[in-house]
Amino acid sequence: MSAVTFFRLLAEVNARMARRQVLALREKSYLMVSVVTLFVIGYWVVGYWIFRLGFTRLAEVPGLQAILLDRMLYLFFAFLFVMLVFSNIIIGYSTIFKSPETQWMLTLPVRSLDVFRWKLMETALLASWAFLFLSAPLMLAYGATRQVTGWFYMKVFVLFLPFTAIPAALGAIVILVIARYLHRRVFKWALFGIGAVGIACAAVFIKPMEAENFEPPQMVAALQHLMQNSRVTVQPILPSYWLASSMIAWGEGWSGRGAFFFMVLLSNAMMALLVCTVVSRRLFYDGWSRNHSQGRFELGVALLDKPITLPRVGVLEHLVNLWPRLNPATRALVIKDVRVFWRDTSQWSQFAIFFGLIGLYVLNLRSVAQEYKSESWGCFVSFLNLGASSMTLATLTTRFVFPQFSLEGRRLWIVGMVPYGLKRVLLEKFWLSSVCSAGITLALMLTSSWMLQVSSWQTLLFAATVVVMSFALCGIAVGIGALFPYFGSGAIVNCHDDNPARIVSGFGGTFCFVMSLVYVALVIGAEVWPMYSKFASSGVGSPGQPWGVLLSWTLVSLISVAAACIPMSLALKRVDSLEI
Amino acid sequence: MILTEHLTKRFGGLTAVHDLNLDIPQGQCFAFLGPNGAGKTTTIKLLAGLLKPTSGRALVGGHDIQKDPVAARKLIGFVPDMPFLYDKLDPVEFMLFIGQLYGMRRGEVEPAIDELFDVFDLNETRKQIIENLSHGTRQRLVIASALLHEPKVIIIDEPMVGLDPRSARVVKNVLKQRSRAGVTVFLSTHILSIAEELADRIGILNRGKLIATGTIDQLREMSGEVGALEDAFLALTPEEEEEGATREAP
Repeated sequence: MSAVTFFRLLAEVNARMARRQVLALREKSYLMVSVVTLFVIGYWVVGYWIFRLGFTRLAEVPGLQAILLDRMLYLFFAFLFVMLVFSNIIIGYSTIFKSPETQWMLTLPVRSLDVFRWKLMETALLASWAFLFLSAPLMLAYGATRQVTGWFYMKVFVLFLPFTAIPAALGAIVILVIARYLHRRVFKWALFGIGAVGIACAAVFIKPMEAENFEPPQMVAALQHLMQNSRVTVQPILPSYWLASSMIAWGEGWSGRGAFFFMVLLSNAMMALLVCTVVSRRLFYDGWSRNHSQGRFELGVALLDKPITLPRVGVLEHLVNLWPRLNPATRALVIKDVRVFWRDTSQWSQFAIFFGLIGLYVLNLRSVAQEYKSESWGCFVSFLNLGASSMTLATLTTRFVFPQFSLEGRRLWIVGMVPYGLKRVLLEKFWLSSVCSAGITLALMLTSSWMLQVSSWQTLLFAATVVVMSFALCGIAVGIGALFPYFGSGAIVNCHDDNPARIVSGFGGTFCFVMSLVYVALVIGAEVWPMYSKFASSGVGSPGQPWGVLLSWTLVSLISVAAACIPMSLALKRVDSLEI
Repeated sequence: MILTEHLTKRFGGLTAVHDLNLDIPQGQCFAFLGPNGAGKTTTIKLLAGLLKPTSGRALVGGHDIQKDPVAARKLIGFVPDMPFLYDKLDPVEFMLFIGQLYGMRRGEVEPAIDELFDVFDLNETRKQIIENLSHGTRQRLVIASALLHEPKVIIIDEPMVGLDPRSARVVKNVLKQRSRAGVTVFLSTHILSIAEELADRIGILNRGKLIATGTIDQLREMSGEVGALEDAFLALTPEEEEEGATREAP
């Protein structure tokens, strides 16, 4: 069978399934569809408004609008390119090497190269659509600032196709080499290493501007500094440079220059795909076979091709044993839950992205900290930071804690049938997730407060808030997770039953996220009110009227206890009568 | 029709399949028996070209599965232990898709689907989405899809998993009919009664090594047991590994 026929058949089948999935939305809850639609529209409207506002402010700098606007595009696409490469590596490994569909395709009378090509296209689509979606408001705002016609957006869309093909090809080459020459367990560590190096590079190379540099006398020097620091993004060897140059040229009406950079981009994308094809011809099938032929991971075999016997450390056991009065069954459950999470690559890749974004957020705070001109701004920023940390926590608990009960799935009977009882299983999940979430969010809050130079009493207040919130949000997530579990269809050939992302995307996950956001809004509202009134009377920096803070904290405590206890008690009742 | 020569597969330090030599002629139903972890599924994956052998080779219909995989796979109808289906398709759409992947024209596929749906009692599920089908129905659909292109070789791993007695009977009948019609059947199972009922020849694999091949009577003779195949199997697969060559019937 020719590759074209193979791709056509697969495209038809996928289009049919996609259509069916869209139609199935009618059967889903209105709550879920409404929340998703609201978020999409909200993001686009708010995103467009913020970018438009930013571009308008840039336009107010006489003579520099074009330079700053263009440099911002170069910077944006350079970051987008790096993110796309990373995203292609993470998604590609699962799509190409871990997917049961790839295994099935390799039994068909088609060339393995064609299977790889199809999977590469799938990876590129999965890895790129979100970035394109997220960058759309920026594109629209840029176009509006440049006063372009609709034709410009069509050309930009065409430009994006070769631009996304290059990181897809680069990512695929990295994956092919990893799969062929490294043990699959090394992938997790390689990913972790790349992420750590990326964040370290960002910390070293992304420097915040000094606030006083934005005063008119230093403006020229500051601009020079900005241009110099971002010059790496205007290297003509970068695909992001070709994309941005083409866009800028088309935005200014220089069709020939725009077409030239488009051709540069297109030819390089084709070359990258060609190289990727050549590499895949040599490495894909070997890598796939090797990836599915590896026994237990042994460091010596992976590195030196001979086994090395290392003493078993058992860090996890030692850590859990630090809690001496822990029930043996609870200890076993804690170790099981942590171990399962650690070994689940689908959880890991999303966890890596999640913490990558948090890392970037914290790095960006350095520049915000420099811009305190008034205490009111400081108060505003510190509460914004509390909001961001709380939202992070709500996302963390919904994505990783909510699916925990459903993930027991068909294995629920194992823990359900032991004398220990499901109630205690649920409580163990609550305590474990609360402690872990509190640790992560507390670290984030302390780091960000320190970077924002928030006063110590306010840091203490916010730290206590996020700890309380961790318990409450985990109560919501564990409770709703047990009240609305998703165990899949339970058939052997359904490969998605254990997919946490699929569990979260159901009604229960959406409901959990909405409830978490409502809780976050209530708590922050309760805390902002006395601070706002205090600031209005005597400024920020001291505790101010104690009764206000006391009342606010009583309110926060009551809301948090209710948020944790109501879903948890309902869930405990539910699991008591659950038929396993 | 199926030939393996010194086929060996190692997973790190573990040898899953060791120096496997098999010659299964056209029209023979060959059952591969062995305890859990004996290497049955690995052998099947090697025959289907899903894994690359560490050494040796496997030929299907004269085509080396590594050197000429497309030609070999055209001849194979493969049912793995963990089959894959597209959840959001209905059974007819899935079968049409499979037929076209094997180069069948729509005019050829539709009558074949009708025939297989009658045999496997799938007519009532024609318009249901696959994700809503029961475990057994999915398994029947997977087996039907593997037979759609009239393969010359059927490779099937644990065929009766999830099937009710009626469906299991249907599958056994179909495999027998196909075998009589000249199709080579290679099935792996650890359910001895299936092998007893279906197989012309049985191979017993233990710890990656083929320890015996022959008909049921020949295996009984080799083991020195006169009772059921179970006794012969247990006698031939002791818990402690014994060194020695494959015992092959003349």
